[in-house]
Amino acid sequence: MSEPKETSITVEVVYRGIFQKTLAQRICRSIVLAARKRGHTGTAFARYGDSPERNGVPAKQFAVVAVNDLELEASMAKYEPAVVDVSIAVDDTLVKGVESWAWYGRQPIWKPIRKDGFLLVTSEKAPEEVLAQTDKAERPYTMGCVPGAASFAGLWVFKDDHTDYRVLGALAKVVPDWVRLDDVKALIKEQTKDEAAVQSAQYGYDGALLRAVKAGEGTSGHEKLQFAKPGWTTMRPGIVVDARKPGERNPQYKKYTARTLRPVVNFDTCIKCTMCWLDCPDECFEVTPEGHYEVVYEACIGCGICAQVCPVKDCIVMVDELKFEDNKDKWQLWKTDHDAYNKWFEQKSGVPADPKRVAHASTAAENANPAANPTTSTGGDD
Amino acid sequence: MAVETTTLPQIKGVKDVPYDELFVSGHRTCQGCESALVMRHMVKASGPRTIVLGSTGCMYVANTTYYTTPWVVPWMHTQLGASGSAALGTAAGLKVLMRKGKLKNEKINVIAFCGDGGGADMGIGAISATLTHKDYNCLVLLYDNESYANTDIQLSSQTPYGAVTTFSPSGTKKRLMHTRWKKNVPGMLAAGHPESRYIAAGCAAYAVDLMNKIRKALELGGPTFVHTLDPCPKGWDYHPQYSQELGHLAVECGIWPLYEVMDGVCNLTGPTRQIAEGRKKRKPVYEYLKRQGRFAHFADEDVEHFQAEVDKMWTEWLIPGVIPFTIPAKDQTILKIDKKALHEQKTA
Repeated sequence: MSEPKETSITVEVVYRGIFQKTLAQRICRSIVLAARKRGHTGTAFARYGDSPERNGVPAKQFAVVAVNDLELEASMAKYEPAVVDVSIAVDDTLVKGVESWAWYGRQPIWKPIRKDGFLLVTSEKAPEEVLAQTDKAERPYTMGCVPGAASFAGLWVFKDDHTDYRVLGALAKVVPDWVRLDDVKALIKEQTKDEAAVQSAQYGYDGALLRAVKAGEGTSGHEKLQFAKPGWTTMRPGIVVDARKPGERNPQYKKYTARTLRPVVNFDTCIKCTMCWLDCPDECFEVTPEGHYEVVYEACIGCGICAQVCPVKDCIVMVDELKFEDNKDKWQLWKTDHDAYNKWFEQKSGVPADPKRVAHASTAAENANPAANPTTSTGGDD
Repeated sequence: MAVETTTLPQIKGVKDVPYDELFVSGHRTCQGCESALVMRHMVKASGPRTIVLGSTGCMYVANTTYYTTPWVVPWMHTQLGASGSAALGTAAGLKVLMRKGKLKNEKINVIAFCGDGGGADMGIGAISATLTHKDYNCLVLLYDNESYANTDIQLSSQTPYGAVTTFSPSGTKKRLMHTRWKKNVPGMLAAGHPESRYIAAGCAAYAVDLMNKIRKALELGGPTFVHTLDPCPKGWDYHPQYSQELGHLAVECGIWPLYEVMDGVCNLTGPTRQIAEGRKKRKPVYEYLKRQGRFAHFADEDVEHFQAEVDKMWTEWLIPGVIPFTIPAKDQTILKIDKKALHEQKTA
């Protein structure tokens, strides 16, 4: 452990709005409190523009640590840090891109990370698998997977599953000059008086899998969404904005980066009851000539209402978003190659597509990533 | 001069719901946002010849930050407490333009929506005034997610007893920071505005019932009012996939009665009617409360109090869930209401 060469460090936490707001806040605050243990100073803050946060829509909070108050002030003179040393994504599906607002476009997860910086992702997957879904890197960085599934909670009830401690331990591994494992452990010990919590930090330190990412590594399969913001001189009088044309969806704000799970539909067992289409708050179902309802993945934000209101068991199954490479609609495949579609459905959902075999023990709830299909301690599936 | 009218027939079932989407995807709402679903159903029911006015709240901010427009119909923002005034002003404006021949004389629906903060707290005076102007055709829709959800969940007069908000956090010394009962807005407006031809309480979990209420309100004309209860995954703290289920539970537990007051006649609708007629058993409120993080701090006595208050709505109120008066036994003959018989009928 040595003294830092730079005078300050900026860490961002990218998280699912509301679900992980408290988690992000705890991580950012702890980074600063741990830094204070060695005489550094710092501040933790949320990005103003994310307010009002919406469930699932990606948001950011930051921690800035500096060697002294003057350096901290110099680092703080910005609304949102454009460059960060470490980015922590507390849900692995966030590597598919961050689209916090419409005009923001879809940004690669590594966009603000400096050259040779770090991206920590909480994931049960190997870095290789996560990298396969991350946008092609423009500059080298190091990816680290912190063991554990995404931890989701609500606004009022926090799920204390030690995710924050594991992340802090992993952070001490990648930037030991700034965050020291001993400081982190001492802080957790002070706050919780719980040896298991301290051990979680050690586990995060030991268990984080690092992988150097070279420029050009990653996928180029994700859609590019970038828009110009009009200046005040180009706005029309009264700030009039065109209405949507009948039959079109909003082409600028697709919001699919809010998704951690996506619905896949078994058209063979669908009874055409219309409930998924009727109850979808994002109008993402399209009726097919047969009267089935197909999901428009560009508009789906993964709330799971459709799977919940569907009266047929395992007809709509919510599946981990990282299992999918693109947003292509799938009904055409079912239409042209029925068997290939059913094979795809079975492979993705883990549920048999043949109605006769649906009596199988697997259910949608079991199949879906349990950590990303969260409930608060009181709410939820009981 | 003949007025061209578009008729809005009652929707017979889910298969009869119009396919045209006038509120499309691409709004920045939460996953599982029930209020967005109310907006979608509202314009689905009213059809394309509709002007929508929105006062400040989730359904304004989430649907208008640059590039997030989901509206196919004309939409305009109005101030927080101004939904009633905006509805009346727009209806009056259309009327005068048509009278002067500057607009084609046709039926244009005017709907102004407001949240529970903008409607039940700030805008109640303007809504009340609007409901007395019987010559103007407009609908005020109050989408009620039981808090100021847009600014991250502050307490409103529609927040239920005991719920946690940023203004009413539960502490170790004091468990409940909010101990007032939810204001009965549709009942109050129905009782106070006899000339309004249609006032209703609905819920998007009962989509066809809600769309029919909106259609009735627009068809009957004059100033009308619809209040919807919208489960809010953000403020109520439950997983978004359960939005519909919580709407069903609110009605089935008797917390949110569905009804309409049409030309002075009160009809209970949907499961509320079944409960009142004794065809369906009212579920215990605990079924509803335990699903939400905002009630996680409730002790047994809080649940009991909540249950007792809801029971009172059903067994003691003049009209169950709607009009909160009781009648002394000696006056029942004067008022020609046999309260006991009514009660027996309800609990049969």
